[in-house]
Amino acid sequence: MSGLLCPADEAGVVEAVRAASADRAPLAVEGNGTKRASLRPVQAARGLSTRALAGITLYKPQEMVLSARAGTPIPEIEAALAERGQMLIGEPPDFSALMGTTAPATLGGIVGANLTGPRRIFASGATRDHVLGVRAVTGHAEVVRSGGRVHKDVTGLDLRKLLAGSHGTLGILTEITLKVLPRAETQATLAIAVDSLAQGVAVLSAGLGSPFGVTGAALLPEGDAEHGLSGPTALLRLEDFFEFLPHRSSALRALLERFGTLRVLEAEASAALWRAVRDAAPLGPVGEEEAVWRLSVRPQAGPAVAAALRDAFGARLLLDWGGGLVWTAGPATAAAHEAVMRAAREAHGTFTLFRAPDALRASVAVLPEEPAPLAAIAARVKAAMDPAGVLNPGRMRAGA
Amino acid sequence: MIALPVPDPAVLARRGEILAALRTIVPGGARGEGVIGDPIRLKPYETDGLSAYRQPPLAVVLPETTEQVAAVLRYCYQNNIRIVPRGAGTSLSGGALPLEDGVVIGLMRMNRILEVDYADRFAVVQAGVTNIGITQAVAGENFFYAPDPSSQLACMIGGNVMMNSGGAHCLKYGVTANNLLGVKLVTIEGEVIDIGGTHLDSAGYDWLGLITGSEGQLGIVTEVTVRILRAAEGARAMLGAFRSNEVAGQVVDAIIASGIIPVALEFMDRPAIHACEAFAHAGYPLDAEAMLIIEVEGNAAEQDFLLGKLKEICARFDPISLRVAETAEESLAIWKGRKGAFGAVGRISPDYLCMDGTIPTGELPNVLRRMGEMSDSYGLKVANIFHAGDGNLHPLIMFDANDPESFRKAEAFGADILKLCVEVGGCLTGEHGVGVEKRDLMPVQFTEQELDQQRRIKSAFDPGWLLNPAKVFPLAGNPALSR
Amino acid sequence: MQTSFSPEQLKDPDTRESNTILRTCVHCGFCTATCPTFVLLGDELDSPRGRIYLIKDMLEGGKPATPEVVKHVDRCLSCLSCMTTCPSGVNYMHLVDHARTYIEQTYTRPWPERMLRRALGLLLPYPGRFRLALRAAMLARPLRGLVPGESMLAQRLRAMLSLAPAALPDAGHAPAPKVHRAEGARRGRVALLTGCAQTVLAPSINAATIRLLTRMGVEVVVAEGQGCCGALNHHMGQHDPAMALAAANIDAWTREMAGEGLDAIVVNASGCGTTVKDYGFMFRETPRAAQAAAVAGLARDVSEVLLQFGYEPAREAPGITVAYHAACSLQHGQKITGVPKQLLSRAGFTLREPAEGHLCCGSAGTYNLMQPAIAGQLRERKLENLRRTGATVVASGNIGCLTQLGGAGGMPVVHTVELLDWMAGGPRPEALPSAPEQKIVESMAG
Repeated sequence: MSGLLCPADEAGVVEAVRAASADRAPLAVEGNGTKRASLRPVQAARGLSTRALAGITLYKPQEMVLSARAGTPIPEIEAALAERGQMLIGEPPDFSALMGTTAPATLGGIVGANLTGPRRIFASGATRDHVLGVRAVTGHAEVVRSGGRVHKDVTGLDLRKLLAGSHGTLGILTEITLKVLPRAETQATLAIAVDSLAQGVAVLSAGLGSPFGVTGAALLPEGDAEHGLSGPTALLRLEDFFEFLPHRSSALRALLERFGTLRVLEAEASAALWRAVRDAAPLGPVGEEEAVWRLSVRPQAGPAVAAALRDAFGARLLLDWGGGLVWTAGPATAAAHEAVMRAAREAHGTFTLFRAPDALRASVAVLPEEPAPLAAIAARVKAAMDPAGVLNPGRMRAGA
Repeated sequence: MIALPVPDPAVLARRGEILAALRTIVPGGARGEGVIGDPIRLKPYETDGLSAYRQPPLAVVLPETTEQVAAVLRYCYQNNIRIVPRGAGTSLSGGALPLEDGVVIGLMRMNRILEVDYADRFAVVQAGVTNIGITQAVAGENFFYAPDPSSQLACMIGGNVMMNSGGAHCLKYGVTANNLLGVKLVTIEGEVIDIGGTHLDSAGYDWLGLITGSEGQLGIVTEVTVRILRAAEGARAMLGAFRSNEVAGQVVDAIIASGIIPVALEFMDRPAIHACEAFAHAGYPLDAEAMLIIEVEGNAAEQDFLLGKLKEICARFDPISLRVAETAEESLAIWKGRKGAFGAVGRISPDYLCMDGTIPTGELPNVLRRMGEMSDSYGLKVANIFHAGDGNLHPLIMFDANDPESFRKAEAFGADILKLCVEVGGCLTGEHGVGVEKRDLMPVQFTEQELDQQRRIKSAFDPGWLLNPAKVFPLAGNPALSR
Repeated sequence: MQTSFSPEQLKDPDTRESNTILRTCVHCGFCTATCPTFVLLGDELDSPRGRIYLIKDMLEGGKPATPEVVKHVDRCLSCLSCMTTCPSGVNYMHLVDHARTYIEQTYTRPWPERMLRRALGLLLPYPGRFRLALRAAMLARPLRGLVPGESMLAQRLRAMLSLAPAALPDAGHAPAPKVHRAEGARRGRVALLTGCAQTVLAPSINAATIRLLTRMGVEVVVAEGQGCCGALNHHMGQHDPAMALAAANIDAWTREMAGEGLDAIVVNASGCGTTVKDYGFMFRETPRAAQAAAVAGLARDVSEVLLQFGYEPAREAPGITVAYHAACSLQHGQKITGVPKQLLSRAGFTLREPAEGHLCCGSAGTYNLMQPAIAGQLRERKLENLRRTGATVVASGNIGCLTQLGGAGGMPVVHTVELLDWMAGGPRPEALPSAPEQKIVESMAG
C-alpha cells in the first residue's frame, strides 16, 4: 500500500473513488485506522482515510439531533454533547488499548463497524438504530443519502443500516446524523458476587427482567481488583434522575440479594467500571501473538460458550449484554479460532475475529460463513454498491 | 387512480393453470380453501387500509407454513408471476394493493406463537400474529413487545417488519428495527434463510436492518424473533389542553429541551379531539384547540415527580386544562381514543387520506400553520394527530370518495404536505411506508442516483422485480414495467 | 369508503341505510382482529371488513345473492364484536341484517338447508312446538353418533341432537300472562319478556327474575300477547315472521304502557334484548314506528334494572368464585359490560374474567346448529379460557350461551340472575354442585 489519501471534503472522496475505479486500484478505507488489526487484512493499492472530513455540522439539542462528518473523533462529539447535558445513546467503545493504537475512534469507524457499548442491552437498540441519516460515497463514485435528520424515516430501502456495519466495503460514510439523548443525572451499579458464570447470567436475567430500567448487565469472571471485586461478579447498572436511584437500587437489591453478596458502587466508581467493560479492558493487555474474539449469543448460552473457550485455550473472558456478548482473548492460533467458530455455531450465535496478527486474519474466516443463497445475494449487493470492487476488498470475506 | 404496471398478458392467459398449480401447493384444510380465485371473492382483497386505491388480484393464496410460502414463491419465480405480500391489510400507504396479474400471498393463517423465553427476553412468532397478540402472550409475566402502532390490535408483525412500524411509544423504546433479533426470510427463488437469531447484532452485513422496512421488495418474512421487555412498574398519562396548535408545538419543544423524555408525547388538534372523544369517551377537552397526551413510566412516586415537572412546563403556556389519569381505566380510555383516532375520523368524514411525513420538531409550529393555509386553499378539512415527540405527523385529509374532484384535491393536498415536510428537512414517511401512495413522490426526497442505488439493491434480491413491483419506486425506471 | 348506488337504488330505505353505514366504514381493518371467524379461519372474507365488502358489492350490483357471498355472510355469528372495536361507528348489525334479508329474498338455498331453516323458524319461537321437538330430539340423542358422513347436513343433525338436553325441566314453570305483585311497597312496575326457547330450556331463569324483582318491590307483568322477540327469524333473514312476532310484543307492551304504565321492559336473555332495543329501527318505516321506538326506549337488560332498583344481597358471601362469561349480545350488542360484574361482586362472589372475553362462545342464536364446526371450535376455546380462570361456576346473561357452554364443560353454567336471586334469599341454583369446595354459610343477614 502506497500512501494515504485524506480528502478534505466529500467531493475529494468521490474523486478518489472515481480514480480508484478507473485504475482498478482498490482503496483501504479507514478513519483513524484504529481497527486495522481487525477482520481481514485488505489488499489495496492505497489507503483512504476520512480523518480530514471532521467537525460537527449540526447540533440541535432540543431536537436531540447531531450531525458530524465521518472523520470526527468520538471524544470531540461527546464533549460537545456533554456541554448540553446530552450523550451518544450507543455508548461507543474506545478500543485503542485493546487494539494497540493511540488515536481515538472516529464517528465513521464506530458506525461503519456498528459498535455499541453496554447500553446495547437496554431498550434503545444498537448504534445503527440511532443513525438517523448518512451520506456516503459508493463504489460508483456517487453520493447517496439515506435517512436524514428526523427521528423517523422509513422512506425507501434502508441503506443506512446496510452501510452501518459494512466496514467500508459498500460505501464510504462521509457524514452521519445521530439521535442523541439527555444524559442521566447519575448512575449506580449493583455488584453481586456469584459462584459461577451460569449463576451470574441468572442474576443478570433477573435484573433485566425487572421493571427498574437496567442499562448495563455484565459479568466479570475474575472480578475487578481496582474496585475491590474478587471472583466472578455480576454487574447491573442503573442510570436515571437523582430522585429515582434510591428506590430503584434498593428494589433491585431486594430482588437479587438471594443470589450472593451484594455491593453498590456509586456514581464515579460505577462510571469507571462501565468504561472498562465498554472498552473490554478486563481482558487485560493483549500480546502481539494473541487474538481477541467477540461472540454474540443468546445470554443463557454465554456461560457454555465461555466454558468451551476456557477448555479449548484457557481463554480470558468478559461477558456483557446480559451474558450474550462474550469477549475473549487467547493465543492467535488456528486451533483457538476453530474453537471460537465451533462455540458460536453450537450456540446458534455469531463471532468476529476482532484483533489478530495478519497471518491468522488472512488465513481464516473472520466472520461466520453465510448460507449459500445469502452469500449469493451478498455478492450481488456488493456488486450493486461497488461494481469495481475498489472499497476495502477482502476486508470481511476472502474474495468479496 | 394510481398507475399500475401493465399486466403481463401471458400470465393473465394462464390464469386457470396458475390457480390449479397454486391449489396443489396450498390445498387448504380445516380453515378453508388455500387459494381464492373467483372474482366475487377476490373483490374484498382488492384494497387494504388505503381504500382509495383498488385492484383485484389474479389470485389470493393463504399458506399455513413457511414451506408453502417457499413453494409458492418458487412457482411464481419459475413462471414469472408477480407477487404482493399481505398481512392484516391495514397498510395506510397501499402496501398490499394487488396487481391484476399478481398473486396475493396472505399470511393471516400463520398466526402461532412458537416460542417465548423470559430469561433471554425474546419471542418467536409467525408473521401473522398481531402486534398486540405478542404483548398479550407475554403480559402474564409483565413483559411486552414495545413498538405499538395505532393499528396494533389488527396489524400483523410480518407487516410491521416490512414497514418498520413505529408507534406512540417509540420515543423511548424505538421502532420495529430496534426490537428485532431475527427473521425467517423466503427469497423470490423460494430459498428459506434465517437472518439473525436470538442474539444481538449478527456480524456481517446488517441484513436484518435492510429487510426491516423493505416493504416486501426483498422477500417474504414468515417468522419473526422479537425482543420482549419487562414492563415498567407503572405508567400514567396526562392530558394537556392548549389554546392553539402553535402553543402546543411550543410545549413539545419545551418538554424535550427539559431533559425529560416521556414514553409518549402525542398531539391532537380540535377536529381529532372531537372525533376521538365520540369514540372513546375518554374525557378529552372539547374546548381545546390542541391537546397533548403525555405519558410517563415508573412507580407512583416517580410518576408524580415527572408529572409534576411536566405540569410546571405546561403551566408556562397558559393551558386550558391539565388532567392526570387517576386510574388504569382512565389511561386505557385515553389511549383507546388515540389509537382509534384514524378510524374515529370516519365519524366526521366519509373518507380520509392519512399522511405520515416527519419533520424536525422545531418546525412544528411553522408546518402546522402552513398546513392550515393549504387546508383553506384546497377547501378540505384536515385533522392532525401525531407523534409530537419525534416529529412524525399524521394529518388526516378529509374528503368524499364519492366525489372524484374531492379525491383529486385530497391527493394534491397530501402531496403538498409531504413536499413541505421534505422542504423543511424531513421525509415523506416516518412509519407507514412509501407503498403505492407516495411512490411517485420519491424523487422529491431522493435524487435519481439515489433511487438507482436502491433499485440495484432491490435487483440483487429480486432480479426479475416480481416482489411487490409497483410499490416504493416510481414506475418510470421500474424494470417490471418494461416487460 | 366509496360506494356506487344509483339514485334509483337509494330510494329503498334499507339500501339508503346501508349506503350510510358503508360510507362510515374507512376500511381500517381493526374489526378483523376481534372477529371470531377471522381469528379461526384467517381469511379476509370471514372478517367483518371482508363481509362488508362482499355485502357492498352484492347490494350495489342489485343482482341475486351468490353462493360465494352467502357462504361468508352465513358464517358471521352476528356477535357484533366488530362494533365494539370499530372506531368509526359502523353499524354492522343493521348492515348484516339487511344482507341476510336480501339473501333470503333473492337466493334459493339447497333444499335440505331450506327445510332446516324453515323448521327452525317455525319451531324455536313457539315454546309448545319447541318442547315437542326437543322431546323427539332427546329420544334420538343417543343415536347422534350413528349419523354418518361429514356433509354439512350430517354435521348439523349431529349438532342438533347433541344440543338437545338429556332431561327437560317440566313445563309448569313457564310463566303465564299474569301480574306478579311487588313485596311490600311497590317501587316500580316492569314488563318481563318471558322469551321462547328459554322458557322451555331453563324456566328457572324467569322464575328467579320474578322472585328477585318482586322481592325488591318491583311489580312484574307478563303481558298478554307477548312472545318470542323475533330475533331467531330475524337472524335467518326471515323478515315477515320476525316482524309479526315483534309486532305482537309491541302491541302487548303498548297496552301495558297505556294502562298502568311501565318503568321498563325487562329482558333476561340478552340476545332478545339486543333485538327488542332495535325495534325502533326495525319498524321505522311502518305505522308502528312510534310505539316500537317507545318500546325500544323502555327495554332494559335485567341487570340494568337490578342496578337501578338497588340490588342488595341478603345472605353472607358464599365464598364461591364465579367466572363471568360476557354474552356477545350483552357486551357488544347492548354495550353492557360492567353492570353484571358489579352486581355479582356486590352479591359477594369472587369474580374472574376469562382471557379473550370478547370472543363469542359459538352459540349465536341458531349458529351452533347451522355452523356446527366453527361453533364447536369457539365453544372449546371458550371453555378452555373459562377453565383457566379456576372458577367453580360460570355466570352469563344469555340462554344461548348457557346451552352452548353447559353440559360437557365440567363447570356448571347458570344465569347471572339465578346467582343474584340466591344471594338475595332465593333458592340455590340447581346447577350448582351440591357440595362445592368452599363452605357456604347460608344465613339471613339483616
